Amino acid sequence: MLFFSYFKELVGKEVTVELKNDLAIRGTLLSVDQYLNIKLENTRVVDQDKYPHMLSVRNCFIRGSVVRYVLLPPDGVDIDILHDATRREARGN
Amino acid sequence: MVLGIQPFSDRSADGGPRLDAEEEVMRVERGAAVALGRRAPESPGTLYVTTRRVIWLSDTEAGKGYSVDFVSISLHAVSRDPEAYPQPCIYAQIDLGEEGDETDDSESESGEDEELSKITEMRFVPSDPSQLDSLFAVFCQCAELNPDPNTEIEEEEEEENSWVYSDELMEGGMDWQTLANPIGHSNGDHDLARNVLELHINDERFEDAEELEEHRNCGSNGH
Repeated sequence: MLFFSYFKELVGKEVTVELKNDLAIRGTLLSVDQYLNIKLENTRVVDQDKYPHMLSVRNCFIRGSVVRYVLLPPDGVDIDILHDATRREARGN
Repeated sequence: MVLGIQPFSDRSADGGPRLDAEEEVMRVERGAAVALGRRAPESPGTLYVTTRRVIWLSDTEAGKGYSVDFVSISLHAVSRDPEAYPQPCIYAQIDLGEEGDETDDSESESGEDEELSKITEMRFVPSDPSQLDSLFAVFCQCAELNPDPNTEIEEEEEEENSWVYSDELMEGGMDWQTLANPIGHSNGDHDLARNVLELHINDERFEDAEELEEHRNCGSNGH
């Protein structure tokens, strides 16, 4: 549940989601669920060459299982909180 | 569960799709067109969004239809940009899994079915664009009902033998930032092996009393 809790903290922030098919989509994180399905708004494709037909869709829903990376905003990473959370998660608390 | 777009022709007496036992229709959109990949849109037809998949049935050709399982839909979105596509529609990307990597290899398209299974994009065009947002919402709801079958198994494994033990992290007395940037920190050594060895240094400062006992019982690895 660690990533679910962590991503909930990022709601409202700009993230870039990179899919396993190499497509990268930038947008504002609208919501996330326990399967790490991601909803983004104000999205734009980072590299438009592969999927030119996907230009600036407004809202999108990304299936959690196809996400490779979620690129975080620099001010969205609180290292201390993340450290505590990972420790607790590994202990099984 | 099959990945990719499938031809669908199994209709019930009322003209709608014949569904599986547990499957329910969440939304019916009449007068909807479907565009597969770069093909021209096909219409008129009826879109059925069920708890398991999206089915489009042609209104004019009795045997013609397509279905795609939600587990195969990597993403879906509302597309209103006329530069992307002339009509406002729901845009969906289809996950082909391992097969997707082979699209460049075989140029042979021996039948329409084979071509169908390689399509990675599709669009659903309602006759009424004002329905797009609610249609998008239904897609979201149904996608959430179809998590990966592998998801639960992964969660179990993480609790058992994950290769990173938090106890070892604490023993090394290394804080998160040191781990994230091993180069240039502590002894300035770039040697990864040495960093790993350092993790096993016993440092009881961060241990709770209970966990100390547990850890001694578990034995040591790689000391």
